Amino acid sequence: MKRFILPAAIVIAVFMAFIPGFASDTMIQFWINALLLATLAQAWNILGGFGGYVSFGNSVFYGLGTYGTGIAMATYHLPFGVGLAIGVVLAVIGAAVVGLPILRLRGPYFAIATLGLNGAMLAIFSNLSIANKNIGLVLPLTRNDTMFYELSLGLLVLCTATVWWVSRSRYGMGLIAIREDEDAAGTMGVNATLYKVTALILASVFTAVAGGIHAYWFTFVDPASAFDSTLNVRMVIMCVFGGPGTVFGPVVGSFVLSAVYEILAAQISTAAALLFGLVIVLAVIFMPRGLADVVGRGRALSWRYFVRNITENRL
Amino acid sequence: MKKSLALSAALLAATALSALPAAAENVITLGASVQMTGATANTGRYYKDAYALAVEKINAAGGVKVGGKTYKLKLDMLDNQSDVNLSVRQYVQLVSSDKVNFLLGPFASNFVISDSSVAEKYQIPMVEGGGSSGQIFSRGYKYVFGTLPPAGNYYGSTLEMMGKLKPTAKTVALVAADDSFDVSVAKGTRKLIKKAGMKIAVDESYAENSSDFSSILTKIKAAKVDSILWSGHETEALNFLRQMKQLNVSPADMYAFTVGVPTADFRNALGKDANYAFGMTTWLPDASLKDKWFGDAAEFAKEYKAKYGYDPDYHAASGAADVETYVYAIEKAGSLNPKKVRDAIASSNFDSLYAKVKYGSNGQINLPQIVVQIQDGQLKPVYTDHFINKPMYPAPAWDKR
Amino acid sequence: MVLAQILLNGVLLGGLYGLMALGMALVWGVLNIVNLSHGALIMLGGYVTYYLFTLAGIDPFVALPIAMVIMFCFGFALQWGVLNLIVRSKMLNTLLITFGLQVVLTFTAQLLFTADFRTINPTYAGNNFPVGGLTVSVVRLAAFLVAIALASILWFVLNRLPLGRAIRATAQNLTAARLYGVNPRVLYAVTFGIGTALAGAAGGLYGMISNLTPYIGASLTAKSFVIAIIGGLSNPFYVIFGGIFVGIAESLTALYIGPTYTDVISFGLLVVVLVVRPSRAVRAA
Repeated sequence: MKRFILPAAIVIAVFMAFIPGFASDTMIQFWINALLLATLAQAWNILGGFGGYVSFGNSVFYGLGTYGTGIAMATYHLPFGVGLAIGVVLAVIGAAVVGLPILRLRGPYFAIATLGLNGAMLAIFSNLSIANKNIGLVLPLTRNDTMFYELSLGLLVLCTATVWWVSRSRYGMGLIAIREDEDAAGTMGVNATLYKVTALILASVFTAVAGGIHAYWFTFVDPASAFDSTLNVRMVIMCVFGGPGTVFGPVVGSFVLSAVYEILAAQISTAAALLFGLVIVLAVIFMPRGLADVVGRGRALSWRYFVRNITENRL
Repeated sequence: MKKSLALSAALLAATALSALPAAAENVITLGASVQMTGATANTGRYYKDAYALAVEKINAAGGVKVGGKTYKLKLDMLDNQSDVNLSVRQYVQLVSSDKVNFLLGPFASNFVISDSSVAEKYQIPMVEGGGSSGQIFSRGYKYVFGTLPPAGNYYGSTLEMMGKLKPTAKTVALVAADDSFDVSVAKGTRKLIKKAGMKIAVDESYAENSSDFSSILTKIKAAKVDSILWSGHETEALNFLRQMKQLNVSPADMYAFTVGVPTADFRNALGKDANYAFGMTTWLPDASLKDKWFGDAAEFAKEYKAKYGYDPDYHAASGAADVETYVYAIEKAGSLNPKKVRDAIASSNFDSLYAKVKYGSNGQINLPQIVVQIQDGQLKPVYTDHFINKPMYPAPAWDKR
Repeated sequence: MVLAQILLNGVLLGGLYGLMALGMALVWGVLNIVNLSHGALIMLGGYVTYYLFTLAGIDPFVALPIAMVIMFCFGFALQWGVLNLIVRSKMLNTLLITFGLQVVLTFTAQLLFTADFRTINPTYAGNNFPVGGLTVSVVRLAAFLVAIALASILWFVLNRLPLGRAIRATAQNLTAARLYGVNPRVLYAVTFGIGTALAGAAGGLYGMISNLTPYIGASLTAKSFVIAIIGGLSNPFYVIFGGIFVGIAESLTALYIGPTYTDVISFGLLVVVLVVRPSRAVRAA
């Protein structure tokens, strides 16, 4: 069935391009959000899923993309495209400058360092005059949600295509080798630093564009929403829920979780966040390798799979 | 993988199906997304409850009359869980699929900034009583109206009062959070202080959600100021005041807060340490504020307390005035057309339990702040443009109480 | 004089910071679980102390050990019933599950305790006394002393008692730990319980100095992180020193640069410490 996945995905993507033609405005809102989140999860997948480096600093690139667009449009009245470009440049520079020292750290220490980085960036932007400090920037209003939808869809397709390429290339093999055993990968001639930094840069590009689109769509940017560490946690959860290191897992994972959250929020508003937390806890216990692994088993799937997951990981 | 694709297909199908129309007869639906849960639920509840009470009361009195027909009000209220992203989606849902007639606002300026863009996009009026930041009203939006007064003048009446009190404070410590609203307050207050002929001895801003003020307080203590004017959020006000006592910081004359002081929560949490604190409110449950449905503000407060078990404050009154704005405007416009109602709102001029409601050309109301003080555990109005009650002044040092 | 007072503020507050991080460092160092729900546990401890004080009328400092026992049981159950199931899973999964727990705890707290803010406000909460021109807050000093005392007890347990030796052995090597004849599942649950009890104590003290809402957890987790990393995971006293260091750094930043810059410094320090001295961050107990 593997060979059907790619054509099916393409058909779905093409179909999705026509959604604004008939779907309600509410659905479009839902999808813009879901597509952007899926892009973030997919971008996180590059270094996190393939390279095995858990970053809590992707929200830094999201924030830089957001502010690139925000500052360009609100302060200098430049067009949206220029704002996006500025955001991407900022994020790439940020990824390169930060990546080199921080990617030397391993395991939880890399994760914590990136978390700290996000906290520091949040505090720095709260004090930057050009970003209007903690007050935030108001962007011009555009009545064109179809454009935002198509942009988000296009970005997700591009990001997924990139990940698809990564998954089949020597480059991706190198990242996987780093994930499995970084020291061994080094001795096999993989330039680990180069691989990791480029993966971070690649992720930063897509993340920054997603931030820029969100900023213009939302018309308001402030430090707390731009450098939001819970957003970063959401990227990780969506990617891991779907299946890290797979091509379509993060996308499906994001769509499913976005829908779950939306339905919970609409139906049983008060306890929605609580149930969302429970879903995460249960997912980690019962399907630690993500949705992709569960559905990948097809008919062979039975309750024993879930029991085995527990017996494998419990003390 | 096949199953996950099937799952996505189901999602897409749901998308296609959701484009169902909603019709209603003789009902005017007001839509709102407010904070019922999450970090700002504590203040969000005022809006939730005030909207519901006002709608109930108006319906009990017969509803809204438009062109010979009588309409009942209906509230379509969602919980945004203190999540701005979710609140924007919910407002889009309200206008586009729930097809509400008009919008009521959420709480807090940052929510209103984003959510009012939805109102403007769809050209459906939003009357909000939860955000007063200048950023909301400086964008030239036509469909957004606010019943909280502008931030810059919050300390106007307090400073006027300070000029009349003996001994008159000469130096001021100004402390403000760094968010949009409080920066506007600080900016306005700096000018007002200068105009009053006082000197700013300490001028500090702190990061939103800070919980430790010991450094700022140490500076204030060293500067030996006569007064402290403080602007921020309720939990921070509470922490600031507690830490004032812990570090034994007492300005010679007085200290005042923009928020917190009028709420029962604040007094309950602090006990007698709340005494002497000055605060401000645009609203007090006073019988002189006449209202078409509730009789007067005191009656409103009584009914509200009886129904929800806690006292309303200006947030609640402002929320109730938002609902009333629509009733007056719809009846005046004689139509449910958003554009016509919008124009009628712009020319609103009525007495309510909240205040005399009249919107400026930017859509924002302008009201004086009433200076209040906690005296022996009671909230007392002290000053508007004249003294109402005698202030307890100057505030004694902590160890002399 | 301003400088001296600000240093004193920083030291006293830093002690509490250190206590906040103590439980996290223990759980991290021994169980290798980076506990993102740590701040939520601090929050819960605060509420337990609050209710012991307001409903049962127990003085908060007397309530503190009771709250610690309650929190110990809670932490024990959490590790036994939930976290033990995923201990051998990838590090990422432990991050995710503890994040999920954080969400669950926060919103359960909101349903149980409402979003109203609470303060633990005994009559002496605002008391202070002068020492050579400086003002010392009684509650802050007491919180500092409690932090030092708990760190000392933890050090004693870890280094002098058989239980502590077993815990440290677990940190080194799980199989070796079995030689001590202790069931590792129990040992893990006990360790997590101790970490939770310490978080509970920090929460009670935090409620006396600041205030409690269901949402304070995430920021307290971040703060605990910073301190656990700066202090290192190897010795309870180092963690307290880490807290004091951060407390002083924040106070000086607020004095010389401005109160809005304190987060730049504390998070900046975290990154710098990690990058410059990665050897500091070694797993040990």
